Amino acid sequence: MNVIGLGLTAFGVALGLGLIGWAGLQGMSRQPEAIGKLQVAMLIAFAFVELVFLLTVFIGAPTLARIAPVVTP
Amino acid sequence: MSGLLTTQSALFASAGGASFIGTAIYTALVLAVIFGLLAYAKKGITSRVIKNPLTQLSEQLYLFVENMCVGIIGPHGRKYVPFIGTLWLIIFFGNLIALFFGFSPTASLGFNLGLALTSIAYVQYEGIKQNGLIGHLSHFAGPKMGIAMILINILIFVIEIVSELMKNASLSLRLYGNIFGGGQAVHEMNKLGESIYVPAGEFLMPVKLLTVVVQAMIFCLLTCVYISLVTHPHDEEHEDHAGDHSHTAAAHA
Repeated sequence: MNVIGLGLTAFGVALGLGLIGWAGLQGMSRQPEAIGKLQVAMLIAFAFVELVFLLTVFIGAPTLARIAPVVTP
Repeated sequence: MSGLLTTQSALFASAGGASFIGTAIYTALVLAVIFGLLAYAKKGITSRVIKNPLTQLSEQLYLFVENMCVGIIGPHGRKYVPFIGTLWLIIFFGNLIALFFGFSPTASLGFNLGLALTSIAYVQYEGIKQNGLIGHLSHFAGPKMGIAMILINILIFVIEIVSELMKNASLSLRLYGNIFGGGQAVHEMNKLGESIYVPAGEFLMPVKLLTVVVQAMIFCLLTCVYISLVTHPHDEEHEDHAGDHSHTAAAHA
C-alpha cells in the first residue's frame, strides 16, 4: 500500500508541476518582456508543489510504516 | 551510550547522512571555498579597471541578488541584500559540494533547520522592528472586523502562528529533501550499472546541477517573500524613482 501511495503522490505532483510549467511557458511566450517576473512566480509555485511530495516521503511514509507496517507473507 | 566521546555517540556515529562532526567539517569546507573565492575577488577592486574575472562574476552575483530583493520586497529591499546574499552563497556552495563529494552540509536536516530558523527569526525581528510588538502580533490576527467577529480573529491568529512555525519545517525540509534525495537517487542508479561497470547515476549530474541553482534560489526567494509580508515601504515618494529604475532592470534580466 505504501508503494501505491507514493506512486499516487508522485503522479499528482507531476501533474501539478506540469501545469505550472505549461502555464509559465505560455505566459512567457505571450509576453517575453515579463519573463523575469513570471519566472519568479513560477519558481515559488514549484517550491510549494514540490513540498507536498517531500512531506509525503519524509513524514507520511515513515509514519504510515510505523502505524501500519507492511506484512510480507 | 556511555559518553559523548565514544565512537557510538551522536558526535561521531552517523544517523542518516553524516555525524555531527562530519557536518561541521563539510561546513568548514564550504566556508573555506566561499572565503577563498571572495578574498581572491576582492584583490581586483583596487585597480581602476576591473580585470579580475572573479570580481566581475561576483558583481553579477550581487546584481542578481539585488534584483531579486528589490523586485520582490520593493524599493526598500536593498537593505536586505547582505542577508539574502549570504544565504544564497552558503546554500549554493553547500549544494555544489554535493556534486563532488558523497555528502554536503545542506544534505543534513540539522544544518538546514539552522538556516531556516535563522531566516525566520530575522523575519520576525524585522517585523517587530518595523511595526512594533503589538503591531506585529496583530498582523497575525487578520483584518479588523469589529467586536462581533473576535472569535474569528482569535482563530485566524492561532492558524497564522502555526503556519509561521511550519515555515521553518517547510524551508528546511524542502532543501533537505531535494539535496539528500538527489544523492540517494544517484546512489540507487549506480547500482543499476554495477554489473557492467558503468556509473549510471552520474548521468543524473546535469539534473542535479539544475537542482543546485533552483534550490538556492527558492530558499532566497521565499525568505524575500516572507520579509515582504511583514515589512512595508516607509517613504514611498522618496524612493519611487529608484524603484522604477530597478524594476526595468529586473524586466531585462
